[in-house]
Amino acid sequence: MQTNAFIEKLFARAKEAGFTACEAFVSESESFSAGVFKGELISYESEDRFGLGFRGLYNGKMGYASTQVLDDDAIELLVGGAKENASLIEDEDRQFLHPGGDDYARIDSWNDGLEQITAAEKIAMARALEEKALGQDGRIEQTDGCQVFSSAGTTTIVNTLGLNVTARGNLLGGYVAPTARDGERVGSGYSLFAAVKPEDIDLEKTAKEAAERAIASMYGDSVPSGHMRALIRPEAAAELLATFSGVFSADAAQKGLSLLKGREGEQVAAKCVTLVDDPHRADSAASSPFDGEGVATARHDIIKDGVLVTLLHNLKTANKQGVKTTANATRSYNSTVGIAPTNFFIQPGACAEEELLAALGDGLIITDVEGLHAGANAISGDFSLSAKGHRVEGGRVVAPVKQITVAGNFFALLKDVEAVGADLRFGYPGGSWFGSPTLLVRALSVAGKDAED
Amino acid sequence: MIPKTILRDALARALSQGGDFAEIFCQDRRSNVLVLLDGRLTDAVTGRLHGAGIRVYNGLNSVYVHTNDTSREGLLRAAQKAADAVGAKPEVPDIALVGSIAPNRHAVRALPMDVPGAKKAALLARASAAARGVSAEIAQVSASLRTSETDVLIANSEGLCVEDARVYTRFAVSAVAAGGGENQTGSESPGALMGFELFDGRVDVEARARQAAERAVTMLHAEPCPAGVMPVVIDGGFGGVIFHEACGHSLEAAAVAFGNSEFCGKLGQQIASEKVTAVDDGTIANEWGSLNIDDEGNPTTRLVLIENGILKNYMVDRLNGRRMGLPSTGSGRRQDYTFAPTSRMRNTTIEPGTDDEAEIIASCGDGLYAKVMGGGSVNPVTGEFNFAVSEGYLIRGGRIDRPVRGAMLIGRGAEVLRKIDRVGRNMWMAQGMCGASSGSIPTNVGQPMIRVTDITVGGR
Repeated sequence: MQTNAFIEKLFARAKEAGFTACEAFVSESESFSAGVFKGELISYESEDRFGLGFRGLYNGKMGYASTQVLDDDAIELLVGGAKENASLIEDEDRQFLHPGGDDYARIDSWNDGLEQITAAEKIAMARALEEKALGQDGRIEQTDGCQVFSSAGTTTIVNTLGLNVTARGNLLGGYVAPTARDGERVGSGYSLFAAVKPEDIDLEKTAKEAAERAIASMYGDSVPSGHMRALIRPEAAAELLATFSGVFSADAAQKGLSLLKGREGEQVAAKCVTLVDDPHRADSAASSPFDGEGVATARHDIIKDGVLVTLLHNLKTANKQGVKTTANATRSYNSTVGIAPTNFFIQPGACAEEELLAALGDGLIITDVEGLHAGANAISGDFSLSAKGHRVEGGRVVAPVKQITVAGNFFALLKDVEAVGADLRFGYPGGSWFGSPTLLVRALSVAGKDAED
Repeated sequence: MIPKTILRDALARALSQGGDFAEIFCQDRRSNVLVLLDGRLTDAVTGRLHGAGIRVYNGLNSVYVHTNDTSREGLLRAAQKAADAVGAKPEVPDIALVGSIAPNRHAVRALPMDVPGAKKAALLARASAAARGVSAEIAQVSASLRTSETDVLIANSEGLCVEDARVYTRFAVSAVAAGGGENQTGSESPGALMGFELFDGRVDVEARARQAAERAVTMLHAEPCPAGVMPVVIDGGFGGVIFHEACGHSLEAAAVAFGNSEFCGKLGQQIASEKVTAVDDGTIANEWGSLNIDDEGNPTTRLVLIENGILKNYMVDRLNGRRMGLPSTGSGRRQDYTFAPTSRMRNTTIEPGTDDEAEIIASCGDGLYAKVMGGGSVNPVTGEFNFAVSEGYLIRGGRIDRPVRGAMLIGRGAEVLRKIDRVGRNMWMAQGMCGASSGSIPTNVGQPMIRVTDITVGGR
């Protein structure tokens, strides 16, 4: 069945079944990836994906169901499933469908140039990326993954209240993970790029960075345990921000799952910290003119000069708190409406690298953190992570460091920021993109070898 | 699901531009998720995932194309795309499919999609109330029930054409204890490859909810874990995650075939303490990580990975097996049709040993008792890993002393395996979702209580 005909039939059937209003969320995407190993094409994936999410108000409750097939059985599954689900819901919060009619920003995350890059060219890119990584240093042995990927998708939301919005976006990215050997020492590193226009593709830069990380990871030693000042590099800081981004959700706050509940207007971070959610950035595929409920998006300061300005809202949480939505509703065709940031980053400051090192004096540079999915507690804010980096003495980098853990608390960390670098970088591309400049923090608890060793 | 003539034509089309092996994986999954928060049902979602993936091998090269369109035209279009990507010399394959249904070793009595939503919701409400009842410090309880019924059909150019049905049921509960401006959580999430009968005796949701709540309260009153190098006793069940992460992933052909594992070329060698025998078993009836057939259509197996410390086997899928010259061990798995399969774990355990659990603690001196492990991750190239301890206690003079929070274990897999100096007698398993290149799949981890002579513990 054609999508439009299916939706028409679906809405008619839903009305008969007693739904007072309903909505279809349609996502269509194409993606591609090519992986190489020692110049050989070892993986090639091509995907067409279609999904339709249905939701509707039944007795004032929102029921959800989704499908990847458009047949008559699917209509019954969607309407029957959503109706049963709606009747089970006990949550009393008022639910909304958005009628649309907003003044939507004219942003198009689509680049024709990216679409013109053929599969063969992407494979050649993957080969070139691997070759460049291998050629950086004689100690680079091989790769543990080298891929170029692309995706292009369209999202459409249509409902019976009049909303009818559509947006599209595309992206081309890649990563390489070289491995290194020096005698008995082994190491690995990786780097990636995500480009929204062909001019942004820089294989040499990605290869060089990945190789440098692989080499660096072989050397270095642990450090004695203790409390240390630290510079947290952009990617590590962005990963921490991503891990704890849920605490900025008004839904989490209203459910008692965020320690930021009710703290709007309070100083929650150091004065030098401004945290921004910007859905209109030109360099990101996470940008969109509307959110998962079809509401027009806008840039928001979440923390301004250390003060919590607002949490991230959707229509339901905003209504509950008597504020206007920040249009941070997120959803996919097979999920319910939630809340997530778009392009979420700590605003870069003016501190140059030398100033940051001088201000650090003696301490650590943290370049990598691992274990975020297990070693971080989003509710308490506590984290304890395996880390790598460098030791700094008197403002000079003296030695690489590995096999340490760093521990702290995200909320305390926000307050412990002493300076913010100018080097804003974004991490792995996804539904939300997280970014940070280098952060100078007052204290991290480091566990390494015992002091008496 | 899909007529054999269409499958055959799609396989032939997939090989029409060369290649020496083609496979089609068709999947239809109906699933339902209910979430209860603070005693009220807040989320209920029903979904149907449907699609097919076509793979073509040309020697060691592999092409994977997938689509939601499983009509004849849709499958032929996907097959053509795959063929175009191979683009080698054309040949005319002769494919004769022999249909079969995988013998079922995992009986299901109550299909979960047939269980009324109200009955499922009532189960969650009971669990939530039980957790609440543990302490006034329990500030919040969430409980969820995830059920799914999946049909798969796998056909390949060697003539295989096999169908299988997979039914999963999983309950999860998470309790938050709050006090003094701090929060701590405890969670439990038992599941099985079975229907709603999971709750007839096998899983007591109220007992599990109380355990989660008690852990949250214990951790709320725990001190931060001191950092340092110390002996660590890791208890059974989810403690097996240490082996899963620190060793299991490095024994997957996906890492070994490319020389990206510290255990490459070590078959027959001593890689662990003699106390360690480890098994990856996909055949245990109704276990969370079990399957009748893997996602390449091969029957699953019981595979001894390490016997008395000697490396015996790797976990092998078809494509990496070609690279290594080894047959499949029925370990090819994928989250769904949108992922090409690769070698993955199933139910992976350290087998029971001979040491007495009380003695293991008593002879430990000062150290850490990791009663319940959280998750972790590992770099398979270097073997460097990290694990969170979700319920930990200090051991002082061979006695369990006070609870500590925020402990993190870091080290290298190969080192830890050699440093296991005790393996207890009682083994049990726990359920997890394992994420890797072929997506997120159900796996069991398990072990008896073990002791590692020294390990770096991160804390505050």
